[in-house]
Amino acid sequence: MRAILLRRLATAIPTLFAVVLASFFLMRAAPGSPFDAERPLDAATRAALDHAYGLDRPLLEQLGRYLANLAQGDFGPSLVYKDFTVTALIAQGLPISLMLGGLALAVALMTGVSGGIAGALRPGGWSDRAVDFAASLAVALPGFVTGPVLALIFALWLNWLPVAGLNGPASLILPVIALALPVAGAVAKLTRTGLSETLAQDHVRTARARGLSPFAVLWRHALAPALIPVVSYLAPAAAGLLTGAVVIETVFGLPGLGRYFVQGALNRDYPLVMGVVILYAGLILFFNLIADLLYGLLDPRARG
Amino acid sequence: MKGALFLVAAIAVAALLLPPFLPWGYADIDWNAVRAAPFSSGHWLGTDSVGRDLLARTLAGTRVTLAVASAAALVALLIGTAWGAIAGWFGGRVDEAMMRVVDGLYALPFMFVVIVLMVVFGRSILLVFLGIGAVEWLTMARVVRGQVLALRHRPFILASEAAGAPTGAILRGHLLPNVAPVAIAYLMLTIPQVVMVESFLSFLGLGVQEPLTSLGILVHDGADDMDIAPLTLLVPGAVLVALVVALNRIGEGLRQRLAR
Repeated sequence: MRAILLRRLATAIPTLFAVVLASFFLMRAAPGSPFDAERPLDAATRAALDHAYGLDRPLLEQLGRYLANLAQGDFGPSLVYKDFTVTALIAQGLPISLMLGGLALAVALMTGVSGGIAGALRPGGWSDRAVDFAASLAVALPGFVTGPVLALIFALWLNWLPVAGLNGPASLILPVIALALPVAGAVAKLTRTGLSETLAQDHVRTARARGLSPFAVLWRHALAPALIPVVSYLAPAAAGLLTGAVVIETVFGLPGLGRYFVQGALNRDYPLVMGVVILYAGLILFFNLIADLLYGLLDPRARG
Repeated sequence: MKGALFLVAAIAVAALLLPPFLPWGYADIDWNAVRAAPFSSGHWLGTDSVGRDLLARTLAGTRVTLAVASAAALVALLIGTAWGAIAGWFGGRVDEAMMRVVDGLYALPFMFVVIVLMVVFGRSILLVFLGIGAVEWLTMARVVRGQVLALRHRPFILASEAAGAPTGAILRGHLLPNVAPVAIAYLMLTIPQVVMVESFLSFLGLGVQEPLTSLGILVHDGADDMDIAPLTLLVPGAVLVALVVALNRIGEGLRQRLAR
């Protein structure tokens, strides 16, 4: 367990550092300046702005300063949201994004695993075919299509739920569903494949021969090994949810991190974009780590 | 798989060949028919919020989306095959180092990398597919490397090496033809992936730019106008989902056929 953790950290930390370096130099190499507006600024204003943000220093000094600040959790000032630091924007947006992503992951796992079980119990039966069809469709449903369509049906036509904004739990229902659908489809497919392989194995036949009820066979003997592929899918799923949340937050007007990221990208707010990219990279590396540890917990052979 | 092939072919043929026969171009504005209902005043699917024909726009957007997706998938195929073939062929430390890079990149948030590239280098259609291709090659590299590793020590390769054939000729003449079927199956699985990424970027305003249009832009515009003209959202959305489902089916089908 310890060995896995150390080995993973040994690749994760250099990767994160490479992300920081690459995004820093990319942003500095970008043609044009974040201060470019409709009209060019006069030279004095431009120089004053560059000086205020430290952009007139040598590149290595800028990097050193950025890294030193980063180590203290300071991502620098936002260039567009004046008077806000990137850290403050992240502190505002991250909890909303994490709640959205966490709820979507829970919904996706519950529906996906139950769908996969329903499919695997009767291979080739009507439930199997229905789940397979629904899962293939769900995997191909991007949030930027499902989001607006769900809002159209349930908010505008039926008037059951709010169209956009964040007031109360009801306003989270549609975003969570739209975000969860593709992940639920993928989980259902993985569960279906994993479970039908496990159900064909000797230990399951033995458990059946001992006269255990189908439910006990499934719950005690088949499910855990069948879910290993689902666990290794969790890290890419988390990455997908973070990415999907960018669109969902934009569609439903939720003030999460993704929306700040898109605004930052459209307005060339370099410190904001860099801060969010570094944070997302860190989160995804963290999720990979957790998934590896869970994997080791479920499959003793992987503890090595 | 046959149904999926037929659907993709039908959509592609319609997008490529139908537009010249329509009474309206995708950018033409019909001032007399703003947000027209379907089948009214010569617009089969109605018009959008500025009176542009929805059918013509959806076909034009599909064409751009398919073009960007094929180009980006080809970029991914080239980088992935080259990377995987070199790693698998030379093995040992080269392989270790090259695959380490792939693992590291796998752990990164792709979409954010592409968005950063768009922010830094401006939003050109060339960059859209280069950027997408540059992040979608990883799976291809892994698959090709696995194939090459398996082929590396097969007798016919060893024989041509012993006969003194130059490495380049062996790679081109013996290795690639054997890797090609698998690479093509994965190429087919990469295309729907790329369609999604392109639409995602265009939806956010970071991909294809007006006056060009793509399915992502159309879905975005339709979502803004869905309370009055729901078809402007539903039609491009349905085409996008149908394309991705069908392309996924084709890719899966090809892969299963090869696995047998």
